[in-house]
Amino acid sequence: MPSNIPAASRSLFDLRRQRIDGSNILTSSWFLLPSMIFFVGWQLYPILRVLWLSFTDYHFLRPNDAVHFIGFGNYGDAVRDPVFYGGLWRAFMFTLLFLPGMIFIPMLAAILIDRVTQPKVATAYRIILLVPSMIPGPLIFVLWKWLYSFSIGPINYILVNVLGLFDLHNAPQWLGDPNLTLPSLTLMEWWWGLGFHTMFFLAGLGAIPKELYEAASVDGAGEWSTFWHVTFPRLRPILLVLVVLRFGSAMALVDEYLIMGGFNRALPTYTWTVYMWEVAFNLWNQSYAAALGWLGAIAMLIVVGFLFWLFRSRD
Amino acid sequence: MDTKNDSHTALGTHRHSRREMLKHLIVAGVALPSLSSLLSGCGSGGSPGATNSGSAPGAQAEVARPLTVTYYDWIINLHPAIEGEVNKDFALTTPIKSQIAPVQGFGIERFVAEARDKMSSWDVYVGMTPFIEMSSLVEAGVIEPWDNYIPKEVLDDIIPAIREEGSINGKLYNWPFFVDVIVQGWHAGLVEKAGVDPEVAPKTWDEYLANARKVSQSKAAPYGCTFDAHGWRSLAPIAHSISTEVYTPEGLFDFTNAAAVEALEIMRRMKEFANPNVLNPGAADAGINDTPDEGVFAAQQAAYYIKYQNAHRRFAGTWPDPGKLRLAGLPKTAGGVGGSVFWTTGAALFTFGANKEQAGKYMRALTYDERIWRHSIGKSREAVGHMPPYTSQWKQWSAKHPEWIDESTFLIQEKMASSRSIKANRFGVTQFNIGQPYWEKYLKGEEADSKKAMQQAKDAVMAEFKKAR
Repeated sequence: MPSNIPAASRSLFDLRRQRIDGSNILTSSWFLLPSMIFFVGWQLYPILRVLWLSFTDYHFLRPNDAVHFIGFGNYGDAVRDPVFYGGLWRAFMFTLLFLPGMIFIPMLAAILIDRVTQPKVATAYRIILLVPSMIPGPLIFVLWKWLYSFSIGPINYILVNVLGLFDLHNAPQWLGDPNLTLPSLTLMEWWWGLGFHTMFFLAGLGAIPKELYEAASVDGAGEWSTFWHVTFPRLRPILLVLVVLRFGSAMALVDEYLIMGGFNRALPTYTWTVYMWEVAFNLWNQSYAAALGWLGAIAMLIVVGFLFWLFRSRD
Repeated sequence: MDTKNDSHTALGTHRHSRREMLKHLIVAGVALPSLSSLLSGCGSGGSPGATNSGSAPGAQAEVARPLTVTYYDWIINLHPAIEGEVNKDFALTTPIKSQIAPVQGFGIERFVAEARDKMSSWDVYVGMTPFIEMSSLVEAGVIEPWDNYIPKEVLDDIIPAIREEGSINGKLYNWPFFVDVIVQGWHAGLVEKAGVDPEVAPKTWDEYLANARKVSQSKAAPYGCTFDAHGWRSLAPIAHSISTEVYTPEGLFDFTNAAAVEALEIMRRMKEFANPNVLNPGAADAGINDTPDEGVFAAQQAAYYIKYQNAHRRFAGTWPDPGKLRLAGLPKTAGGVGGSVFWTTGAALFTFGANKEQAGKYMRALTYDERIWRHSIGKSREAVGHMPPYTSQWKQWSAKHPEWIDESTFLIQEKMASSRSIKANRFGVTQFNIGQPYWEKYLKGEEADSKKAMQQAKDAVMAEFKKAR
């Protein structure tokens, strides 16, 4: 027992420990049950089930066939599968495009909004920025697919019919040209996530003591120097959270790709996640799809480990 | 404060005796199954399948529920007479319930998952396309043959090629409802404006392309022609116009067959006059539907169009004058067989469903009902062009053309004799998805050698085919 606990509190501490250590643990377990059911059934079981699947020859369409343990057979096929590698590379390319903008644009927006002194104006900025985040994903994708449409999209309408910069033969194919597809998707994602990510940074900025800025000002630090030596280091924990979260979600993106590009393997939207989906739900080879999923997850975890190292505390 | 302490103590110090624990367990043991059955009752929302959970197929038939038919949504949308007329009449003698099927993007996972539990919420699924999902449904034991429930005279009445398409090992798994054939269609107004006789169909691909060039060069329309870039809607049908023997012994499309390679070369020439986004995926069903060609043809921006006939009819229905649409069989090459690709959309009988006798009666009533066909192949703007699958109907109508039928229907029906379906297997559609990036390299000019592109496509398909086995 810690010696610095006052005597009056000590008896309470003992009582609590006694209760926890005693047979009341059984009673407490009942209260834990709902969350345990959720955790085991909703999270742990699917992970273990997919792991088990990946070592078998399980096939969804053959319920009467015996399932055999085949060791690393699926993994052996997956590491030699060019479609899987190509898909991982495409997802990585998208992440490279997406991640910097998804972090630094909201950071810049947050810094600018943080300087707005009029409370009503600051609130208005926050609400306007948050509106896209409140729209469900599929609706966003369908909306942007229409915006990007070659023949009926407003963007091409302006470029062709209003500005006359292109005609019906050479107008940009935002979702069909391999060079434009990923940047187009990136722009959509930036727009969608701007408000949500800005809120993170605003919370981080609000937690920085104003005295630090005053001290920096007294020391004669300029804007850039203040940002670099005061603001940025204190936003690093938020950066880590956002970079790790968004790296994971960018690498594992699937619904945007399915809506924008379907199963068209010629497009950059055919990433490893879409391939995994097609193998699992069109060809029904779910054990192989499970191995693809695990390999993809491992590849991502390696990068996440590196990111943790990169953003480690240097205090 | 005292009260708080009391309650705290009561909560904290109360111990469960073994007797109490046992009592709680018994209560929980009794309550859980009750709760479970209660939840399943609630969850089914009256769904007849829920009551059948876990029972054997034989027992299924004894469960009293109306004949429960589920449809791919587009079938109900395109054929309003099903619910509005046919089902209403059928319900006078047999209780029937219709529902929309959970099959977005031709997904069959719900059906398979239920069959694994030896149950089915439905008795019949109307919307199956043999080369897309039939073999998977058979492999998983989800559906059973119709042979015991289809009258012999009906079975013999099915056009032989359609019967073959819907059969596996001589058993009929797909009760055909209607047929689609890949054909050519054109906008007579645009063609005429380009100085081409609008009443004459191009007989060869060279003529077709020459006409498309005239349209394009004369600026009668922005695009001379358009097509759907999905392999089963363009590459395979064009190959069939040259030869229908373009399949490997495994039943896969043989990308390296001379006819397939020539088809790809024709597509590249077509692409010169087509809308630039012609290779892009569609807007619905994971890119399969709402394809760019449809918008272009509907907007009267392309004169010639290769696709299944109902597409021409549906999108011409949006023109100010749908009467400008002309349809004909696909062109061919010199010495080509002049075939095409057709496929049937039909009905599957669930192994673990009920009411199988009634299901047979319903399908007969549905597929022979002239009200369906008056709407589908009639002359109205809303006609969708799906064609019936029975020999007797065609004989009757051919002997004396009904006043309500659209004459172009007969031109398309003639093509059936020389056309062939894509072989039904699990790779029926996916083989074209796998090969697409390779043959598209040739279409985009990234690969100069058509044979090399098609060899790569074939290699990629075979690699995945072997892995999937």
